[in-house]
Amino acid sequence: MVKAWGYLWALVKGAAVTTRHFIVNMWFHTLRLVGFKRLRAGAVTFQYPEVRKPLAARHRSLHRLVARPDGRPRCVACLLCVTVCPSECIFVEAEEDPDPDVQKTAGRFEIDLARCSFCGFCVEACPEDAIRMDTGTIELAARSRADLLFDRDRLLRRN
Amino acid sequence: MSDVLTALIKIFVALGWFLVLTLYLTWVERKESAVLQDRIGANRASIFGLRLFGLFQPFADAIKMIFKEDFVPAFADKVLHTLAPFVSFFFVAVTIAAMPFGDDIVVGGKTVGLQVFDPSVGLLYVLAMLSLGIYGIILSGWASRNRFALLGSARGAAQLISYEVALGLSLIGLIMVFPSLRMSDIVRFQGGTILGFLPRWGVFLQPLGFALFFVAALAETKRVPFDLPEGESEIIGFFAEYGGLKWGLFMMTDFMEIIVVSALLATLFFGGWQVPWLAADGFHWPWGGHWALARWLVVVLQVLAFQAKVVFFCWLQILIRWTYPRLRYDQLMDLGWKVLIPLGLLNILATGLVMSL
Amino acid sequence: MPKLTIDGRTLAVAEGTTVLRAALEASISIPHLCWHPAFPPEGSCRLCLVEIEGFPKLELACSTAVREGMKVRTETPAVRESRRRVLEFLLADHPVDCPICDKAGECKLQDYYEDHGLTESVFREEKERRPKNIDLGKNLLLDRERCVLCTRCVRFLREVTRTGELGVFERGVRSEIGILEGRPVATPYGGNLVDLCPVGAITDRSFRFRTRTWFLVSRPTICPLCARGCAIDIDHHPGLPRRADSAGVFRVRPRPDEAVNGFWICDLGRYGYLDLHRRRLTRISWNRGGPAAEMSRAKILSVLGGKIREMAVRGRSSRLGLVLNSGLTVEELRSVRDGLLSRLPEARLWFDDPPPGEDDGFLLRAERTANRRGAAGLGFDLAPFDPAVLGKDLDIILVFGGLSVGKGRDEVLGQALASIGTKVLLSPVETGLEPAFDFLIPTALPSEKSGTFINVDGLARSFEPAIPVAAGVWPEGEFLAALAEEISRGA
Repeated sequence: MVKAWGYLWALVKGAAVTTRHFIVNMWFHTLRLVGFKRLRAGAVTFQYPEVRKPLAARHRSLHRLVARPDGRPRCVACLLCVTVCPSECIFVEAEEDPDPDVQKTAGRFEIDLARCSFCGFCVEACPEDAIRMDTGTIELAARSRADLLFDRDRLLRRN
Repeated sequence: MSDVLTALIKIFVALGWFLVLTLYLTWVERKESAVLQDRIGANRASIFGLRLFGLFQPFADAIKMIFKEDFVPAFADKVLHTLAPFVSFFFVAVTIAAMPFGDDIVVGGKTVGLQVFDPSVGLLYVLAMLSLGIYGIILSGWASRNRFALLGSARGAAQLISYEVALGLSLIGLIMVFPSLRMSDIVRFQGGTILGFLPRWGVFLQPLGFALFFVAALAETKRVPFDLPEGESEIIGFFAEYGGLKWGLFMMTDFMEIIVVSALLATLFFGGWQVPWLAADGFHWPWGGHWALARWLVVVLQVLAFQAKVVFFCWLQILIRWTYPRLRYDQLMDLGWKVLIPLGLLNILATGLVMSL
Repeated sequence: MPKLTIDGRTLAVAEGTTVLRAALEASISIPHLCWHPAFPPEGSCRLCLVEIEGFPKLELACSTAVREGMKVRTETPAVRESRRRVLEFLLADHPVDCPICDKAGECKLQDYYEDHGLTESVFREEKERRPKNIDLGKNLLLDRERCVLCTRCVRFLREVTRTGELGVFERGVRSEIGILEGRPVATPYGGNLVDLCPVGAITDRSFRFRTRTWFLVSRPTICPLCARGCAIDIDHHPGLPRRADSAGVFRVRPRPDEAVNGFWICDLGRYGYLDLHRRRLTRISWNRGGPAAEMSRAKILSVLGGKIREMAVRGRSSRLGLVLNSGLTVEELRSVRDGLLSRLPEARLWFDDPPPGEDDGFLLRAERTANRRGAAGLGFDLAPFDPAVLGKDLDIILVFGGLSVGKGRDEVLGQALASIGTKVLLSPVETGLEPAFDFLIPTALPSEKSGTFINVDGLARSFEPAIPVAAGVWPEGEFLAALAEEISRGA
């Protein structure tokens, strides 16, 4: 019985919290509507396309391949990203690099964003710091699956 | 002839009021939930750049639902699958006919009740129609031939039938106090005062009955915290196989049930169209003053009072829906059978004792 | 048999066994780079040092013979410390370019560093630069930076093939592996150097940069390319989702089998077998003049089975010709004998084996099929196939194309076949003969099926499927069983 009254009290408390939020927010909404713009806003919402929240420093956005000074990718096609990728969305094909000190480079490097889960493991695994997720591009919707297949040149273009 | 015309006008107005309120209740639901969660809510729907706090959102929703594919799964029972949302919708829609919107008015020498029809069993009629709405749920789950939908409708049927009992019991005390089951009589009875100052509303005569009815009625609307039949987000409800406008009908039924419950609460427990201390000739203040008002003004005030009460209870139900988490199924059944029904019986007993004194 | 104790376990080993061998036989791991079971101990890498009671210093496990009552400990602090220091010296000049090294993942130096090293290098100096891409001849590439000078390659060429193309040049820290000017590695066993190299110093150009070793699934099978029947491991990539082209066979490596091939295979087996996977037949088809039409198994079975059943019923089985080859497994040949020939007693039978090749006196035999002993053992007359005798008195001919059917005899065979009513070719690979046949049935490579081969020395070796059966392929065993059932239906 005591327990039941406790539940009832909790119900009342919960309703009080939401009601308070409703009344306070409505109060400020109304004040701003009639012209008191400098008071605090009634909502914490960012009006997204117009107002953009700055991305956190560690935010994982669209991948890019880091280029060497000559424009070729740093990637040496070690396939560690392919190995670690839990979505199995990376495909790399190695080729011989013209620079004998580099030897190996990625001929094909494709990320299927339709599969990618943006876990960032590829960035962690990369021994060459060749792949990063710091482009800040977060609007990645596309009209076809093919548009979501980012190949080497598209990934390099973000440098 | 003029009777038929009057009836048609009344039906048109009542149904129009009902549907417009339903439409905007969806907007209110979105906005109210947003405001109490520190958000803004749907505000993008616009006509020629005119946004008006997203007031056009219901139209955008309606257009979207109309243009969606009207889909019947290959394995479903075509006829019943199509019929089910209409059954749900119809039985809720007809309940509004028995709600008194205001006192009788005299037009051209004839007395016209602001009510579509006023049977002597008005209250029973409303309860009966609400109960029949269960068929829509059962039919939809059954006709979908989807085991998850069927489980949802089984949960729905069990829940609604359980709470139907509590709903009925909570009203028996009220019926014992009130002189009649006719809705207009019930409202008129609540016109006076008790102890000289308190309006003679059902809530003051039957406080426990009100609490029980409110909880049971919330369960009847099958929304959070009693949304086990639907549980869109995780447990999959009876309309899993519905889309487009048929799904929209189920959703509208939900919102219409909110309005019906609000109207019932207002009518049975909060004096319907009665304004405290307002009689046909004006206010009679409990401290002895008298404030005479024109007849038409009184009618307007009374109609507005009913609207205000309905809107308030709609707001309250939405607040509840966005405050509490869903009950577990056993908790739901416990609350229905082990709390509401015994308390309902106790209420009847207490009412009987008080009345026989 | 002397007894010794290693880490508290008492073992009895044969006279003259070294401590390292005794430990490995008991599954006690002692790191080693230069030691290989095929060669006498070299003792140059210093990784296998262990503590032996009564010896003042750590001893080399690879070159110390077991004596009665020896007490060996492999995991004492002194041993671990010595391993760590040896690894540190080995790695002082090792480039650690594991990301681009084809050996990474199966590199012993990598493994030992994980198990025993894991130290920060104390060297502040620049690592020494050496040539990284020296052509040793054939498919072999040498990376001198990665080389740890274990000299396994030199010893292999000196002691096993006795060709001695590689040697250690210079001295001390300048020591390096190399070839004499203009005398590249030419031995047909050169591929083994890649497997022998414990690090990524010698790599295979055919595998260079194609994938990483940890993606490969390694399964045992038997090389079918000569009568030796070497034990091999075949490495395939199961493929990434939605990337059908990433799957495939990448490597063939020898599997130790003391009685058959020791630790080696020849380059014909290594690369020839790899090549087979690149020219597969993949569809059951029916040549009707125009483009070949695809057929279902059930359809071709009912067409062929119907015709052969009619022959059997009318007692005209002599008008059926069967061209087998001794590359078929014992089980498949038995299925032909018991399933088909028992119902078609007069069917004509030939064996079409490729012409003998060169016998190199080591592993490769002149006989280029794997199971001639098996076929003979089942009582088949291994009559050589002569296209000229084919002819007018045959209605149906079933040709089991071996791995090298009809090479150089296309024209003769095409003419001989022209007069036969129904010609069926069952072959795992494209042979160039397809237009001469009416029906083509793609069959399985030995690596895709199970069976038994009996090799040139009469040793039977059974094997299980090593790679998934390619799409559209109908293994011979299943085809023969289905055909036999179809023929006996209603009989």
